Amino acid sequence: MKKQPKNTEENITRKDAIKKIGSYGKYAALTAIGTYILLNPKTAQARSPTNPGDGGGF
Amino acid sequence: MNKLVVKKIEHKNIVWFKNSNSYLVLEQIAADILLKIDKKNSFEEIETWALKKIAASKNIIKKFIEDVFLLYSTNNEIKRENQTDVKANKIPTKYFLEKYYAINNYIFKIQFETEFHLLKIHPTFAHLEIKEPPNYSFKYTVFNNKNLIVFFKDGTFIGKWNKNEAHVFEGKLSMQILIDIYKKPETNWMGVFHASAISNGKESMLFLGDSGNGKSTSLALLNANGFDCIADDFVPIDNGKNIYTYPAAISIKKKSVKTLLSFYPELENSAEYHFKKLNKTVRYLPPKNINFDIKLKCKALVFIKYNPKIELEINSISKIDAFQQLIPDSWISPLEKNVTVFLKWFLDLPCYELTYSNNTKMIATVSKIFNDEL
Repeated sequence: MKKQPKNTEENITRKDAIKKIGSYGKYAALTAIGTYILLNPKTAQARSPTNPGDGGGF
Repeated sequence: MNKLVVKKIEHKNIVWFKNSNSYLVLEQIAADILLKIDKKNSFEEIETWALKKIAASKNIIKKFIEDVFLLYSTNNEIKRENQTDVKANKIPTKYFLEKYYAINNYIFKIQFETEFHLLKIHPTFAHLEIKEPPNYSFKYTVFNNKNLIVFFKDGTFIGKWNKNEAHVFEGKLSMQILIDIYKKPETNWMGVFHASAISNGKESMLFLGDSGNGKSTSLALLNANGFDCIADDFVPIDNGKNIYTYPAAISIKKKSVKTLLSFYPELENSAEYHFKKLNKTVRYLPPKNINFDIKLKCKALVFIKYNPKIELEINSISKIDAFQQLIPDSWISPLEKNVTVFLKWFLDLPCYELTYSNNTKMIATVSKIFNDEL
C-alpha cells in the first residue's frame, strides 16, 4: 500500500487515522474514493495509566 | 471468505477485518471492491464491474483495484501473540501484603509481591476491603519475574506485562474480576469502554473523552445529584448490549476536589496519590449505592469536555466522528459475533458532544437526554 506524504493542509484527525489507498493526487475522483480511516481498538482491556511507583499516600 | 464484516455508516462504510481486528471507514466503492475480493471475485471481474462505476481511465482504475487488493491483504495479516513459557514463572512464597475484598458476594484474596503491585490495584478497591475471612472464592497472585508483572488466578497463569504496560495488567485484572463477579466468560463481553457510566435507574449513559476532559468529575457530580454510578474508567458491556456495574472507586483529580467537597466532605481527608510522570494527583471516591443486580441498556454516548469559557453547549455529532473517537480508546471483543453486535449497537445509538462549565446546567441536560426532551 502506498502512503501519501503527510499533507499538512489535510485535516488529519485522531491518531493520523486518515490514509489514502493509493497515490491519486491528480485524479480528484479517485482521491475521494481512495481515502479511508484506519482504526484499531485496544488489543487488551486497559485502565487509565497510573504510576503509583512514584510514591503515594500509603 | 467471510473475513470481513461490513456496515453502512452515514454515507460511508465500516469494514472490519477479522484477522487483524482493524476497522476501516471508507467509501462505498472501495468497500464494494473489498467485499468482491473477499468473495474471491477475480481481478478481471472486479475491473469489468469498476469500469462501469468509476469515471476514469482503465489504467487508473486498474491501479486503484490493485491498491485495494493490497489494502485487503495488509489488513488480513493475522496478528500473532507471543507465546509464553508458563513454567518459567515461579510463584513466590513471600508477599508484601495479602488483601481480601468482598465484591458481589464473592471474596477475593489478592497477593501482592511488592508495594508497586499493591499500589496498582488496591487504591481503587480499598472501599471493598474486608478483614481476613475463614474462606475465599478466588485467589489472585501478582508478582515480578525478570522485570515483568506476572498475574495468576487460582494457580493458573493469566498473563505477564512489562512495567510500561502496567495499565494493561490493571485492565486484565479488572477484566478477571468482571468475569468472576458476573460468572460470564470473556467471550460473552462485547467491549470495555474507557468511559464513565451513570444511570437514572432505568437506562445508562456513557461519558467519553480524553483523559482530563472531566468524565470522572461529571460522574461524581451526577452521582451526588440523584443518578447512580455504574462505572468509572472501565465500563463493561456484554453481547446482549447490557451495561454492568463495575465497583472500582472514582478517580478524582486534585483540581476537581474543591468542586466536589460540598457533595463529598470525605474527600477532604482521603488519601492522595501523586503520579509524577503523568503530572497528576488523585483521590479515590467510593461510588454510592453499588448495585450488582442491574443491567442496563445504553441511552446515548456523550463525548464530554469541561471548558471554563463555555456555560453549556450540546450538539449531536456524526457517527463517523464518534466512531473515530470511540474505537482507539476501547477494547472491543475481536470475535466476529461480538463485532456484529457491537456495530449494530453503536450505529443505533445517539451520540452527543457536551461542553460545559456550569454543573447545574450539565446535570439538567443529562436529565433531558434521558427523558427525550432535548
